[in-house]
Amino acid sequence: MNAVAAKVLIVEDEKQIRRFVRMAVEEEGCQVAEAETMTQGLIDAGSRKPDLVILDLGLPDGNGIDLIRDLRGWSDVPVLILSARSQENDKIDALDAGADDYLTKPFSVGELRARVRALLRRRSRSGETVSPLVEFGRVAVDLSRRVVTRAGEPVHLTQIEYRLLSTLLAQPGKVLTQRNLLREIWGPSYIESSHYLRVYVGHLRQKLEDDPTQPKHFLTETGVGYRFQP
Amino acid sequence: MESPTSLLEDSPEKFTRAQGFLLTVVACAGTTVVATPLLDYLDLANIVMLFLLTVLLVAVRLGRNAAILASVLSVLLFDIFFVPPRFSLAVSNIQYVVTFAVMLATALITAHLAAGLRQQARESLAREQRTRALYQLARQLAGTLTVEQVVDIARDFIEKQFNARPLILLPDEEERPRVVSHADSLMVETHLAQIAMEGGQPVRSEDASGLGYAQLYLPLRASMRVRGVLAVKFVSSPPDLTADSTSLLEILASLIAVAVERLHYVEVAQATEVKMLTERLRSSILSALSHDLRTPLTAMVGLADSLFLVKPALPATALETAQALHDQAGRLAGLVGNLLDMARLNAGEVILRREWQPLEEVIGASINLLGNALEGHAVKVQLAADLPLLEFDAVLIERVLCNLLENAAKYAPKGSPIVVTAKADADAVEVAVMDHGPGFPEQRRDDLFKMFVRGESESSKPGTGLGLAICKAIVDAHGGQITADNRLDGGGCIRFTLPKGIPPVVEEESR
Repeated sequence: MNAVAAKVLIVEDEKQIRRFVRMAVEEEGCQVAEAETMTQGLIDAGSRKPDLVILDLGLPDGNGIDLIRDLRGWSDVPVLILSARSQENDKIDALDAGADDYLTKPFSVGELRARVRALLRRRSRSGETVSPLVEFGRVAVDLSRRVVTRAGEPVHLTQIEYRLLSTLLAQPGKVLTQRNLLREIWGPSYIESSHYLRVYVGHLRQKLEDDPTQPKHFLTETGVGYRFQP
Repeated sequence: MESPTSLLEDSPEKFTRAQGFLLTVVACAGTTVVATPLLDYLDLANIVMLFLLTVLLVAVRLGRNAAILASVLSVLLFDIFFVPPRFSLAVSNIQYVVTFAVMLATALITAHLAAGLRQQARESLAREQRTRALYQLARQLAGTLTVEQVVDIARDFIEKQFNARPLILLPDEEERPRVVSHADSLMVETHLAQIAMEGGQPVRSEDASGLGYAQLYLPLRASMRVRGVLAVKFVSSPPDLTADSTSLLEILASLIAVAVERLHYVEVAQATEVKMLTERLRSSILSALSHDLRTPLTAMVGLADSLFLVKPALPATALETAQALHDQAGRLAGLVGNLLDMARLNAGEVILRREWQPLEEVIGASINLLGNALEGHAVKVQLAADLPLLEFDAVLIERVLCNLLENAAKYAPKGSPIVVTAKADADAVEVAVMDHGPGFPEQRRDDLFKMFVRGESESSKPGTGLGLAICKAIVDAHGGQITADNRLDGGGCIRFTLPKGIPPVVEEESR
């Protein structure tokens, strides 16, 4: 664990939810600050400089998505969204605005702790020099030499497949929206052509997953986007 | 005028034909009486002029037939009373025969021209009146708000212009013409109206008129389709329609058609708006309800979990209770989710966010999402190699797959595998989820997909009987079918289909 306890800001209007989220986060050895409203949340994010923000999308004084947009103007602190299941569009908007991950209500403390750990780990790593070598499962990727091997055997990837792979690898654990990936890899004119993305993710799974029908690393967040899980 | 259409009789003759002839005789006699004392002062030539003036006046006032009578009478009277020898048809000088001939010819030509002019004037007057009446009708129809108003205006117009009675028929749901309002007892032959509506051509019936049926059926042709039928019953029978009045009736029919079409679109627009408002209200109620129910459930699940974090650790029995609380709250959340889903799916048209995608992906995502719920069951996915991209709402199809997999895991014995297969045929892809559970009872298999129906009613397994109903609603919305079946070696099997379409092309990379 870090020598200095990580600071986590919880922005949630429901007292009981705040209570158990706080307990779960404290269990991870973090210092917790709470805010009930969007305005208070923004002020606290500025003054306390947290290492992670846990944000409920439905706040009484405004949309959590606006908070993320404001926050992203001056901070790259990881943001974890809490949202209801039927709000795919809200999730996408929040992720496009700069949120890093989301949890669907209701969620268990175990899931919450796992997400918090992952986001904090990424945060602490961001200062280090990034290694050009990434390994997951039986796959090894050397980003400096553009070489991909699976169980020691070289794997041939097309240009787009490689670009997709490196984009996903660059943000492990983070949910990347379809729109985001399409813009990044195919360009802005392909934003509506989601089938391209789906077909190419399928190619990557065929080449790199042990069981392409039940992927372990290139995960689908249905209706939202994709996540690379090392 | 013998036409039953009173259109051209708008300025009705002041005199009947007999009165006209009588007046002509009186006029000619009068001229004779006036001219006789003048015989001493005037030349015979000028007396001829007086008779010609009479003929002209008669032609202008009383029409062609009276003028012809006046011409002949004038010549006769002139001969008898003025040409020597007087009071006899005989003439003393053969030159007078020329005078008579010229006089008769002049009188007849004058009569013909004057009567023709009079006829033209009357016709143009009638045309002008008709145009004005049509203009007024169009203006009135443009302001109508209901079909009943259209009917009233059309009835007024036809009664005034044609001395006939109209009826408007509009198609019902089965495209059969139905009378709009039964204000009067006019009878229509429905099959003739049907023919007019389907053929888009006017239909006439000569023999029906005596029985009180309408004789003429005009289709109401608007820009998009035939909007109905205008049936007309003429008072006199059989109706002898001139070209003019037929075309007027057709113009009338198309004006009514435009008005009816406009009202139809007003209705459509209003219905759409009401539907949109209802939809908005419903979705806002559902999302408010969903939020209000989910918030305490989230707190319950999380708070139950947080009991495990209490230091020092709680006794084992307390933790067991906490776990049970967690599980029950989770089940309640699933139930609420199902109910809300069902409400949303049942509430009207399902709004699908369809995108082209491989089936494989959503199957993988469903298995991943269920996670622990599938514990103890290996899921085997067997997909045909030639599956095309399909257009579906991934979130909803994921719900279907999750529900089916969850059901399979719930009813099949621990350790038994669950198999998911997919294969394509000519126009659909069929997905099957198979287990080694008890299968489905032979009878009532279709009932399984109804709400609140469960395979075994007294089953000890928790459930509401909503899962399969949700699956059916979703598959139906995609235009597919879902059926329950048993495998040959026992175990349940649920199949659903998704229609193939024409998938978009994914361009290959140049390399």
